[in-house]
Amino acid sequence: MRPHAGAPLSRRRFLTLSAAGAATGAAALSGCALQVSNGAGGGSGETITMMVKADDITPELVRQALKDTGVSIKRVDYDITKLIAMLTSGNPPDLVRGVGAVDAAYFAARDVMQELDGYFAGSRVLRVEDLDPVNDLWRYDGTTQGKGPRYGMAKDFSQDSMYWYNTTAFDEKAVDYPPELDPVTYEEWLETAQRLVQRSKGQTRVFGGTYNGLYKATLLSTLTASAGGSLFSDDFSRIDFTTPEARKALAWYVDYCKLKVGASLVLPDPNGWDGPTFQAGRLAMCNSGYWMGGMIATDGKLAKVSRLAPTPVFEGGPRISACQGGTGLWMPRKAKNKDAAWRVFEWFFGEAPAKARAAGGWGIPTLTSLRPLMPAQDDQQKRVLKVQENELEHFSVVAFSPYTTGDSFEALFNQTAPAAMKGEISVDTLAGRLNSVINEQLKRGKEQVG
Amino acid sequence: MTVDQMSTVADRLRSTARTGPTRTAEGPRSSMTARRHRAFYMFVSPWIVGFLLLTIVPMAYALWLSFTTFDGISPNWHYVGLGNYRELMNDSVTWDSLGRAGLFAVVSVPLSIIAGLGLAVLVNRPVKARGLFRTLLYLPAVVPPVGAGIAFKNLFDQNAGATNGVLTFLGFDAVGWLADPYARYVLVMTVLWGAGNIMIISLAGLQDVPRELHEAARIDGAGSWRTFRSITVPLLSPVLLFQTVTGVIASVQTVMPMLLAPLSTTGGITTVPQSNYTYMIHVFAQYFALGRYGYASALLWVLFVLILIATGLIFRFTSGVVFYNVDPEAKK
Repeated sequence: MRPHAGAPLSRRRFLTLSAAGAATGAAALSGCALQVSNGAGGGSGETITMMVKADDITPELVRQALKDTGVSIKRVDYDITKLIAMLTSGNPPDLVRGVGAVDAAYFAARDVMQELDGYFAGSRVLRVEDLDPVNDLWRYDGTTQGKGPRYGMAKDFSQDSMYWYNTTAFDEKAVDYPPELDPVTYEEWLETAQRLVQRSKGQTRVFGGTYNGLYKATLLSTLTASAGGSLFSDDFSRIDFTTPEARKALAWYVDYCKLKVGASLVLPDPNGWDGPTFQAGRLAMCNSGYWMGGMIATDGKLAKVSRLAPTPVFEGGPRISACQGGTGLWMPRKAKNKDAAWRVFEWFFGEAPAKARAAGGWGIPTLTSLRPLMPAQDDQQKRVLKVQENELEHFSVVAFSPYTTGDSFEALFNQTAPAAMKGEISVDTLAGRLNSVINEQLKRGKEQVG
Repeated sequence: MTVDQMSTVADRLRSTARTGPTRTAEGPRSSMTARRHRAFYMFVSPWIVGFLLLTIVPMAYALWLSFTTFDGISPNWHYVGLGNYRELMNDSVTWDSLGRAGLFAVVSVPLSIIAGLGLAVLVNRPVKARGLFRTLLYLPAVVPPVGAGIAFKNLFDQNAGATNGVLTFLGFDAVGWLADPYARYVLVMTVLWGAGNIMIISLAGLQDVPRELHEAARIDGAGSWRTFRSITVPLLSPVLLFQTVTGVIASVQTVMPMLLAPLSTTGGITTVPQSNYTYMIHVFAQYFALGRYGYASALLWVLFVLILIATGLIFRFTSGVVFYNVDPEAKK
């Protein structure tokens, strides 16, 4: 029987109406989510959405972009969950922050990135011949990172296996400084760290050195490359920690953690990263690349005692000095405002912001033409620049698998490895377990990509 | 009015109540009832719509996801039926994390209830500056979790923390509180730090205990402990049951203290020490580190069912010891 007007709502009818209301609400919310980009054509007067961190695009840069390019920027905080929601709803931002070393192949393999070769070919600001090789981290040919079309660009970079050292900590322990331009071996680095560490009653006053890389994935793949091998199979669908080179890399890192000369999973640093500890003079050697010079330069006392040193090598292995980050921007394939986004892309990577970044010393510029802007006014900066320029000759791209993310690798490694770091299992057992859990993840990733 | 007249009026009223309104009054009364119904439903509808939109729809969506390999972005995800549920049955990491979550609940819930009740008893006494003490004890419960996390990290840092400062001053070696195996103790302390919430609820319960019962017990010669055990606790038992049920549910779902207090680096979910790697951390890692939305959704549905079972068991096993001033079954 149909209820007549004015009759009391039955519970059933009420719930039906509520469900309908909820469905309408859901549709409305979904509709709201679609209103991210204005969807109009490119060029002056347009608005684009950039999903970046607050530091990447400050309000001043937003104003400057409008003045320089005529394009308004709407900044959305970088959030991978939000990004996935925007990508799956077909309303992605126009430009997205990403870490070239671990994100480029992953997103490119899933066909959500816009190929940018056509844009580069027509650009007078970002000329292909001017691009630093680090930008190859943003290339992917369907199998291998570092080859094929370009999908993004790094804003600046460092060779992240280098390290800074504090001369005071060396002087206190009467330890010789590392050679300025020649690398020490990883074994020597660890031995030096043991000599430099200062402990008392279970507390560490000065750490000998930290060496954790940017991600465990990039750290271990570059360490393995330094030992002369490759962590991944040729098609990047499998990992093998039991090869002599990968095992050597893994054993070195487990030793580093066991010896507790620096922060690790079993010796956490509550600061969350090495910068404050190094700045406080409580860290003798700090695994960070050129970019940390930006922080060091702001502290005159620290700058006087800080030196940059080349990436170590394994005895008999090649000299590899990779970039483990290459943070930059990429354009989603379904971006609504590609031309305007490209204009901002050019401005961000080749015009005023890029020049300011290059002069700031927080990273090496990704256009070779901007290198003369790198700070070299005082002796400390000149010394750093000399080491860095020498190191650039040993740069190479260490490719990462498209079938997993850096975070997945990190999660699985951190779940499995502490037992070995605490001496509860051997390195060989750890290698076997890592193979098992990470290969399972890679297998799932490969099935998903197809 | 005589008693007989009053009796007659009362009989008529009863008769009217039994037979309902007369035919002439039906129209306006029916319309008033309809208006009342509409008003009721209009007032509750925001909640009902919210419940459907923000609870039922996401739960149904998560249930659907739990039968797929969806990872949020890859093109080739597919339906796997009960595959994710079968996998979690054989996943030792899942069961280990569930065991840790259970242990955490078994340890933290009684401890925080005892601590909260103890504090409530203390601040219920007629002492000077009682209001100040109540405020100070409740204050940690309103401190944002991030602030509490930073405070705990600094307090328990191995090399520069105050805790180890005291230990080394007393001649002991420093302890690595923020790493395994000690991180679990820091976690429990983090939870106890927020016992002010339980204190407030217990305090409200304590103030509801009739004073004459305590006086009667005292006249009968009962001491403080006996009075507390035989009068206060039984009368507080519904409050304690409420705290136990909500405490168990909250502790099994706890994520923030695990992430904040003993966190070693900015790596977030991936750097939680093994001893604090509980079920919800596992779920969080599956969603946001490994991108396994389907598997993580299956984990959440299993947790939902387990919480329902645990709640049912708690009600069943406490039915004989919880005392209600008003019989909750009386209206049935």
